[in-house]
Amino acid sequence: MGEGIGEGGPLVRGTMGIVIILALLLASLPIIMTYSTLVMTSFANTIVSSPWVKFRFTLENWRLFLEGKLAPTAGIVYTPEDILRFILNTGIVAGGVTLVVLAASVTSAYAFSRMNFFMRSGMMKLLILLHAFPGVALIVGVYAIYVFLNNYIPRDYSIYYSFIFVIIARASLEIPMAIWILKGFFDRVPWELEWATIVDGGSRLTALRTAVLPLVKPGIAAVAIFAFLAGWEDLIYVLVFLPPQEKTLATYIESQLGSGSLETTYLPVVAAAGTLYLIPTIIFFVVTQRLLLETMSGGLKG
Amino acid sequence: MVEVRLEGVTKRFGRVTAVNSVNLVFGDGEFTALLGPSGSGKSTILYLVAGIYKPSEGRIYFGDRDVTDLMPNERNIGLVFQNYALYPHMTVYDNIAFPLKLRRTPPEVIRDKVLEVAKFLHISELLDRYPAQLSGGQQQRVALARALVKEPEVLLLDEPLSNLDALLRIKIRSELKRIQKELGVTAIYVTHDQSEALAMADKVVVINRGVIQQEAPPDTIYNEPRNVFVASFIGSPPSNIFPATMDYTEEPCINLPGGTRHCVEEEYAGVLWRMKPSKVIVGFRPEHAEIVENPVDGRPVIVGEVYTVEPLGRENIVTVASEDIHLKVITPPEVRPEAGELVYVAVERGKLMLFDPQTEINLKYIAREWSQGG
Ligand SMILES: Nc1ncnc2c1ncn2[C@@H]1O[C@H](COP(=O)(O)OP(=O)(O)OP(=O)(O)O)[C@@H](O)[C@H]1O
Ligand SMILES: [Mg+2]
Repeated sequence: MGEGIGEGGPLVRGTMGIVIILALLLASLPIIMTYSTLVMTSFANTIVSSPWVKFRFTLENWRLFLEGKLAPTAGIVYTPEDILRFILNTGIVAGGVTLVVLAASVTSAYAFSRMNFFMRSGMMKLLILLHAFPGVALIVGVYAIYVFLNNYIPRDYSIYYSFIFVIIARASLEIPMAIWILKGFFDRVPWELEWATIVDGGSRLTALRTAVLPLVKPGIAAVAIFAFLAGWEDLIYVLVFLPPQEKTLATYIESQLGSGSLETTYLPVVAAAGTLYLIPTIIFFVVTQRLLLETMSGGLKG
Repeated sequence: MVEVRLEGVTKRFGRVTAVNSVNLVFGDGEFTALLGPSGSGKSTILYLVAGIYKPSEGRIYFGDRDVTDLMPNERNIGLVFQNYALYPHMTVYDNIAFPLKLRRTPPEVIRDKVLEVAKFLHISELLDRYPAQLSGGQQQRVALARALVKEPEVLLLDEPLSNLDALLRIKIRSELKRIQKELGVTAIYVTHDQSEALAMADKVVVINRGVIQQEAPPDTIYNEPRNVFVASFIGSPPSNIFPATMDYTEEPCINLPGGTRHCVEEEYAGVLWRMKPSKVIVGFRPEHAEIVENPVDGRPVIVGEVYTVEPLGRENIVTVASEDIHLKVITPPEVRPEAGELVYVAVERGKLMLFDPQTEINLKYIAREWSQGG
């Protein structure tokens, strides 16, 4: 660190700090404004076009949104949408992706870090390559697999199949990077910790559970958050593989803003949907700040 | 407690042979030091005894029990790792209690045992802390406590003092020795610090490139190194080693560098007559020689020019160049010759070591083997 450049150090850093904060504020102003108008609109009785407009606070939009009454002006022949179901769907996909990513990446990262097997370093490189492929590029192939497997699925189970397929397909896109991140964490845990457990009477599994996993917790949490967000925000896989009536928040918002529907949609209600959709991302930033700063402090010599 | 025996043990990692057909006995209740340079296979031997590594060849016994195929957790050993390997996320108490918890010891018993061993090692007041909040010496004692709490038959220590400062090291050294003797546990102590090995151990095993070089009590290792490697590894500064030609006209005599001759003592004469090597490797310890002005008494003398003088306070290390050989001599502080001065290096009577140039084995040992062999 460039600590202490003479006596002027802290002072210089102080002014620099202010300049940097100002510059950052200026740069992020458009983004902040967009998000704040979105959030404010969801609580207002009309569309908020700038953060300085006076508005009347109301929860009406949220009520309408949660009741699925999205086009209050559309007239009589109108069935409310099952928004709670959409939220649940989003949760299922995001949670499912998280679980699959964790199960696959924790075990394989441990293997990559601890075991010697054929083509280990080659496979690590392959993982990075896999990560470089955008999910959209793979979708044709993934669709082919979907159709192929679908032949063997009884009709009654087809809805479960869709969900499981979406979860696994979406998780596969996240797994390569997750393995990389976790392998780095596992590599930092000395072998001796595991051996100590085994010498002390534990099995290899006990060693993994009691000596290693607690130390890679920050890595597991980071991977879990990334996976959850990937599932939560996914649009294209859900759109392609879930039946049209099974929406998630992302596909629901898309459908509201998509072709033609904009005229009948009451935008403050969509703003409520957008705000809800944002919440995990906000939580993510709050949590990761602490998490990423958290370092593994040692009980190891040195 | 128990004797540990290695019979023809070899350990290979791919193409690297880390330990090469080693036969060793670690005596019951004895403190044995495994001494060798970095990469010589010390830790590997320790891990073989622990069961973390399986030998590629050979068997390992604890007393009469063949433990070669047993897992570490079936061997009842205590192991203190080179980096202590304390669990960072557990308190000192939990670290020490962990082996007992794994054995499903009842909690009251665990408590008693942890408190007892903590008191024994003077760490009772640290039990609530985390390892990161401890000094190196304290961490070392916690690691030792964790190894001792399960009352192991064999205690294995891998350079446990290597990261401590010199003062603490000397303090803990004697403490460790005391604990080991009090418990009567068979201890194997890995180190690359020769003074540690010589000071603490009942027996020192010197190892190089996975091969045992010598296995003997500390003073034998020091006074009668079995081969050139041991002679040049032990001592600080290590022994002076150089080749010399032989002359057998009347009796076996060595042509020393600088043109002097020395006719060997009785104990070497016999073996030299029988082997008649045209060359030998000569060695002597820097502390077994002195700088003299006139070569008079029949001591072996080497003529040379003073190259450097390093004053160390209590003593000086004088380097003398003779032909293309540099010899180190430890002298009293007042003996401080000028660089370039012509001097005589006289070696104490009986302290000249001679090694077979082919096998590099001390001729004394070859003579002994012959006399034993008949
Ligand atoms: N797990 C392993 N895989 C491959 N090679 C190994 C492994 N462990 C040790 N070796 C090799 O075996 C040899 C002996 O290693 P070992 O760790 O026993 O040395 P050491 O005497 O303990 O050294 P140090 O004093 O540096 O700890 C070295 O050449 C080392 O590179
Ligand atoms: Mg080692």
